[in-house]
Amino acid sequence: MRAVIVEDLALLREGIVALLREHDVDVVAQAEDAQGLLRIVAGHKPDLAVVDVRLPPTFTDEGLRAAIEARRRQPGLNILILSQYVEPIYTAELLESGEGGVGYLLKERVGEVRSFMDAVHRVASGGTALDREVVSELVRQRTGGAGDDALASLTPREREVLELMAEGRTNAAIARHMVVTPGAVEKHVTNIFGKLDLPATNDDHRRVLAVLTFLRSA
Amino acid sequence: MDADYAPTQIPAALDEPPPAAPPPPPANALPLHIALSALAGLVCTIVWAVTGGGYYWAAWAWLGLAVPVLVHAIIRFGLSAPASARHGLALHGMVTGMICGILVVTWGFTTDGIRGFWPLWPLLVLGVAVAVHALIIYADRLPGRAREAQLAERVGELTRTRRGALDVQAAELRRIERDLHDGAQARLVALSLLLGRTEERLTDRPEEADLVRRAREEASAAIGELRDLARGIAPPVLADRGLAAAVEALGRRAATPVTVEARALETRPLPVVETAAYFVVAEGLTNVAKHAPGAAAHVRLAEEDGRLLIEIADEGPGGADADGSGLTGLRHRVEALDGTLTVTSVAGSGTTIHAELPCGR
Repeated sequence: MRAVIVEDLALLREGIVALLREHDVDVVAQAEDAQGLLRIVAGHKPDLAVVDVRLPPTFTDEGLRAAIEARRRQPGLNILILSQYVEPIYTAELLESGEGGVGYLLKERVGEVRSFMDAVHRVASGGTALDREVVSELVRQRTGGAGDDALASLTPREREVLELMAEGRTNAAIARHMVVTPGAVEKHVTNIFGKLDLPATNDDHRRVLAVLTFLRSA
Repeated sequence: MDADYAPTQIPAALDEPPPAAPPPPPANALPLHIALSALAGLVCTIVWAVTGGGYYWAAWAWLGLAVPVLVHAIIRFGLSAPASARHGLALHGMVTGMICGILVVTWGFTTDGIRGFWPLWPLLVLGVAVAVHALIIYADRLPGRAREAQLAERVGELTRTRRGALDVQAAELRRIERDLHDGAQARLVALSLLLGRTEERLTDRPEEADLVRRAREEASAAIGELRDLARGIAPPVLADRGLAAAVEALGRRAATPVTVEARALETRPLPVVETAAYFVVAEGLTNVAKHAPGAAAHVRLAEEDGRLLIEIADEGPGGADADGSGLTGLRHRVEALDGTLTVTSVAGSGTTIHAELPCGR
């Protein structure tokens, strides 16, 4: 896998590069601002761009805007956004920014090496990796306003599976996380899709998208 | 850096020709006028003496000569300074003085003794006119008015300094937030990354791996706390996307159904005003969730005549204590920006918080 990194703080950039290289990810280029991102994406056509949300010169959401622009120029680009905070409107903008894998993780998740590397591989292969904070925010929004009882009909266990699915995890990963058998997860998933009236599918990516579409349809 | 090697600039002024000499002042003809008038008066007096004295008619000649000299002097004074209220008053005083002088002298020449001081009435009228003129110009120095002017000046000064202090405070908070992000938070993320990589290498030593994992979790908790702290200063989405987007995000996150009507503000208010407005809405929605759980709320943002209007209305039971809860702190924050915050809460018809802030641009 060929990746590029865009992060303005050298300390973090070097740490992430070292981590990725230890896991056989080929880091082909690094940059520290939005212009640099557009340049290295155009020059290297990577499988994955890992981008910090906040970049010079304005230190607001330049990284996100630049990543979306890079994807516009190179459709299908897989983007993993790292951020110090999660903001639902950024999740929406990322998910709506076109084809390709999307990841939105809090920066400190890089310390959870195994699940971080899972997320990196998932996004690089066109999948989804949303931070659990992002997902709980989505669930909170869905349960907050409209007085919608579809979610309320889920058992606590099913709710947990739903949230793990929304993060982008596969059945096997969910089973590992919950310390249950893959068969048990399968059963929960079937129940959830039935209760929420979602189209059943075995394709992981489509399943994640169906769940996210449901959560965001509040 | 380029600046270090920039050639020394020769001040442009050195290349320019020296400034033209100022035009010569108009010749001052007044001393000559005085001298000629005095000479003429003297000649008259000599003629009077030579012709045998008697009635001192030369006094009229002196008077006739003196009046043009005075007029000349007054005109000269009038042209000596740019027009201003004080200068005008001085001129008025001089002309009045001259006329009074002529009247009194004429009276002195024509009257024996002090019978019937006829110039009294014109002097009074002219004097009153000067006094009124002076009163108009110096009205602000009168005891009562002076206090008023002083207070007005003080209010202006306080408004300026308070706004300045708030700007400084806002800039300082932004700096702290930036420092947290680039400093402590970044280092903790780097630490957590190192601990994660260490943990990976300890798969054959579960006890050590567990210690390292706990250390990493502590680092994560610290990062989370710093994040909350930074968000409490100002939520990132506010700085990134402005007030309307931040308030919409608040509405989506609220525990009660919230509709947001935020007409795009043409230009962004000052950051300190934006932040205050944001926390008014945040606190308002928190109050709705607390005192009217489940009640629908409506948030409205608009700008009118340079003032930002914020309204949070709920459909709850109403009858809330307008002075209670977290609203007092919020009111102080709004008032510090020259804004107002009112709470209307009638039992049975919901609660409305209305705040107005000057945009301060």
